[in-house]
Amino acid sequence: MNLQKALIQVWAFMVKNWIIAKRNIFTIFEILFWPVVGFFSVGLLTSFLELDPNKTGFILVGIISMSVIQVCQMDVSYVLLYDLWAKSLKHTFIAPVQPLQLIFGSWLIGVIRSFFVFLLLSVFSGLAFGFDFWRPGIGPLILFLLGLFLTAASVGMSVCILLLLFGYMADLAAWSLSSLMALVCGIYYPVSILPFPLPQIAQAIPLTYFLAYFRSFYGFDEGFKNVLGWGFGLAGLYVVIEVFLFKAVLHRARRTGMLLKLSE
Amino acid sequence: MLAIKAEGIYKTYRSGWRGQRKKDALKGVSLQIEKGEIFGILGPNGAGKTTLLSILCTLLFPDSGRVSILGIDSARNGHQVRQRVNVSSGNANFLWSLTIKENLHFYGMLYGLIGKEREKKVEALIDLFDLNNHRDIPFDELSTGMKQRLSLAKSMINDPEILFLDEPTVGLDPDISIRIREKILALHKEKGMTVLLTTHNMKEAEHLCDRVAFLKAGEILTCGTAEALKRMIRIGDRVTIEYRGIIQEGELLRADGVINFTVSGNRCEIIVDEGEKRLGPIIAMLSQGGAQIERVSLGQTDLEDVFVEFAKSPDRI
Repeated sequence: MNLQKALIQVWAFMVKNWIIAKRNIFTIFEILFWPVVGFFSVGLLTSFLELDPNKTGFILVGIISMSVIQVCQMDVSYVLLYDLWAKSLKHTFIAPVQPLQLIFGSWLIGVIRSFFVFLLLSVFSGLAFGFDFWRPGIGPLILFLLGLFLTAASVGMSVCILLLLFGYMADLAAWSLSSLMALVCGIYYPVSILPFPLPQIAQAIPLTYFLAYFRSFYGFDEGFKNVLGWGFGLAGLYVVIEVFLFKAVLHRARRTGMLLKLSE
Repeated sequence: MLAIKAEGIYKTYRSGWRGQRKKDALKGVSLQIEKGEIFGILGPNGAGKTTLLSILCTLLFPDSGRVSILGIDSARNGHQVRQRVNVSSGNANFLWSLTIKENLHFYGMLYGLIGKEREKKVEALIDLFDLNNHRDIPFDELSTGMKQRLSLAKSMINDPEILFLDEPTVGLDPDISIRIREKILALHKEKGMTVLLTTHNMKEAEHLCDRVAFLKAGEILTCGTAEALKRMIRIGDRVTIEYRGIIQEGELLRADGVINFTVSGNRCEIIVDEGEKRLGPIIAMLSQGGAQIERVSLGQTDLEDVFVEFAKSPDRI
């Protein structure tokens, strides 16, 4: 009975994000306009620079990964942002819900939306730039996407944690955290070219390993040993830590009155 | 059996750099509310009503003190408490683009309602709160009254044993306020739930509440039934006189039994200790002083008068 109750609560957050997303014109921009515009801008730049196919692939893997993470993490962030903007946060937290259900439900809808973005961009990458995203095979692709989705969960949870800590002024994080991560993780370049201490910081971010893993199928050196182990290990660790952090900041928000303040 | 027991609740809000600015919201509030009771918390703006209600419903943690809800320690087992209570606020806010029906389904799911059980519950609440014609309208297109009805409907989604109402009729037209109050009374009668409401509408409190507590500057000044409070404060009766000419205000203030009076245009309201005993001498005195008395009425004081007295002089009790 408790499991059934927990599942229906997870479902509630999926349904909420889905209904709001389908009625919001900006959703179309999020999953179609920005990813597609970004993808073609970068793709055409690689054509102009006359990069060899491997380097074009290197960059396209980066831009597609970035779009997948951005769309997925936005859904996790939206689970609080929608309530924040509607000032209805207290109604969510007066209900007997746990942070894990809230995050998991919104993450699942993010996975669906960002998978659609991935499909779209991978088709475009083949048609427009002759890059076969499916060449590594279904297994590596699933592992790669799973890594991206876990990374997105971690970024989205960071946004939620910041929102509960700092309130409205933290909503900027929903759009800026993933861009900051892209800079450090080598979306368009190998992390080895970054100045100190950025390569060391990159090693603490799971996306670095997932990118290295997937690019290795296109002839690039992984640069690290056991990239998948590190990637999933770090991603899992961050998710677990952030679930506890989320609980802690929620407790703090009940103590400081932030929860009430964000509902007024 | 007690539904709510709060002992020595203190709450201070901190703001600014490292929380240097402090505002004491509650200063040692204690109260006990019986199961099935409708209890009102009255007080002016900034008295700490919403803070107290938020602590009791687990949205806010106190700095110190203990809260027990339905025998459960709310600090340790907030999750259990949340399954058995619910909240409705004035100035209701819900997810903008969700319709009434979708909002109720969403919150139904948060309380673990499944499939047909949830469908049945949502339909029953839509009927109960006359929301049928607006069920598919998004929240941000609803009138204030409709939003308030949705808020009450949502607060009933889990059949709460304790219902917290924060200014349930604030900003509503009088006719809608009356309907909302009737609805609250009907629900209380039907379900037997405990209701705790905050308001600064004295008529509302007098109409709805079995007992009320006066909260001012974070402290409960007094607590009891409306009748008991009126007796306790002994502010007597209200004599209203419409007149022409002049009133000798100095003499009126010195007259036997006069506690206070206000003059507005050709109308004078006098609070006296015993209306029937003082009415004759006062009229005689005013007439002799040059006033032509046109109409006189004698009425009892209401909770609003009690509130005004408490608000200006907390030491009266």
